[in-house]
Amino acid sequence: MTQVILGQFLNGIIVGTLYGIIALGVTLTFGITGIVNFALGQFMMIGAYAAWHLTDITHLPYPIAVALAVVIAGLAGLLSDRALFQFTRNNLVNGLLVSIGLISVIESGAMLLYTATPKNMDFVLSGAWVFGDITLPRMKVATFGVLVVVIALTWAALANTWLGRATRAYAQNPEAAALMGVNTQALQVGVSVYSCALAGLGGAVYASLYSLEPSMGALFILKGVEAAILAGVGNLAGALVGGVILGVTESIGSLFLPTAFRDAYGLIFLVAILLFRPNGLFGGQK
Amino acid sequence: MNPVWLLAPLYLIPAFSQNEVVLTILIFTFILSILAIGFNIVFGYAGQLTMFHGAAFGMGAYGTYLILNKLGISFWLALLPTFAGILLLSLLVGWICFKFQLREFYFAVVTLAFSELARLVVLNWNSVTNGTLGLLVLDKPTLWLPWVGVMKIEGTRAWYLLALSSLLVVAAFSRVLVCSWIGRNFAAIRLNEELAQTLGINTFRYKLLAFTISNVLAGFAGALFGFYTNYIEPSQLSITQSLDAIAMVLLGGVGSILGPVVGALLLTGLPHVIEFSAELRAAAYGAILILVILVMPRGVVGLFSRWRHVS
Repeated sequence: MTQVILGQFLNGIIVGTLYGIIALGVTLTFGITGIVNFALGQFMMIGAYAAWHLTDITHLPYPIAVALAVVIAGLAGLLSDRALFQFTRNNLVNGLLVSIGLISVIESGAMLLYTATPKNMDFVLSGAWVFGDITLPRMKVATFGVLVVVIALTWAALANTWLGRATRAYAQNPEAAALMGVNTQALQVGVSVYSCALAGLGGAVYASLYSLEPSMGALFILKGVEAAILAGVGNLAGALVGGVILGVTESIGSLFLPTAFRDAYGLIFLVAILLFRPNGLFGGQK
Repeated sequence: MNPVWLLAPLYLIPAFSQNEVVLTILIFTFILSILAIGFNIVFGYAGQLTMFHGAAFGMGAYGTYLILNKLGISFWLALLPTFAGILLLSLLVGWICFKFQLREFYFAVVTLAFSELARLVVLNWNSVTNGTLGLLVLDKPTLWLPWVGVMKIEGTRAWYLLALSSLLVVAAFSRVLVCSWIGRNFAAIRLNEELAQTLGINTFRYKLLAFTISNVLAGFAGALFGFYTNYIEPSQLSITQSLDAIAMVLLGGVGSILGPVVGALLLTGLPHVIEFSAELRAAAYGAILILVILVMPRGVVGLFSRWRHVS
């Protein structure tokens, strides 16, 4: 039993980092542009299909495919920002609706291009490491590593660089940041593109682990938003922790309680946290 | 003039047009308008962005059918215990949310979580709800009419009249509500909750009231929807259902009586007017939504009248 629990625990952590990378995008976008981009799940889907297409059809090496997929998701993000989201800055409801419209558009596009049949990528990194009773598929460990490194780098960059300081300053007080010489326009575009690229990266690594379908994004954006709120919106390192907590709660919960309610355990946990800490686990008090 | 009367001429349409497609689109419009009007009360007037109305919509459909089936009573009688159930559940969810002072985004996410929980219960309670397969509704509502006697609501025209009449009643109710002192208190809460509280308005009670009314109306719409389409499935409680209603309200115009109806008509009708495949239809739906939000942030009704709040 112990190794089953431990196995589920590790699985939860890996799925949790995927939630975490979406949560990071949600938190960043919300902090800087004042909206929650619900289409981030679809940018993840774009990244996933791009990685799959480039590896299995164009036969590029997987790492290059991932890099290109991130670029493609980022470009799609740039396009969506210039065409749509620049008009919904700081308008939560309009941003929500525009992103919902965008979800329909992107999903239909994927359906037309790749049909609804699930796609499975060929194994990239096969084999697994075995520690006693626990087997860890190499690809899952690699995925975990890549995502954690990216989240950590983002966090470190925001904590230490000038750009990071500008971003945090803007999140706290937009007018003051603008007066201090922060190019707010560029910052907003940059952050929304970066969030989409992050989601694309999540999708590109997801593609090597699970099968793809056009509707895959919906689940992840919900989990990402949950994770971001769990941690406290605006908390970058918390986004990863929130995602992992969510993933682990679901994996462990579905071990002891009916699996059908898998999605519910995270939600119940989230509601419980919000009721007692309205600003999230790591959020400061108002 | 009371804008609800603008809906009355719609009674004449079946006299002119026998086109099944047009009438069917209008029936869906009317039923979904009821859902949207309910959402408009809690969001457009009381300013609370709820995501629970989709769940209430589905629960209305399931509740009414299951009670009707188990007890063998009529549609209208079965509505009452369904409403009572939705009312109690809304009070519970609302109590939790408002007691803990959840606002805006947080309120939206917690109600969304409860709505997902409701969907998961319906989805997995196989012995009662038949799970993913859904339920086939074979019964029809009956209605007693003077001179005619008891008649079954069957066929497009009868449903058209029933749906339109229900919409008129709901729209009139919402008009009376928002023009009353209750509506003024809602507006006060939306505009400045702290100030409203200072002025002696029990904001907790009024937010709970708006939330509950919206969910009961959603349940009514759901019951009509289930019996009209003859089919109830768990996806009727989904987030998409909630979002559709939000889109309709935003599209038509927040905080206006007829806005939700206009929004429902546009979102139900337009993708059908343009002949498209299923994928393109979904894309068209998205594109219409995006365009309208960006071009007309105050909704279609906002174009024709200046945005007047009940103040």
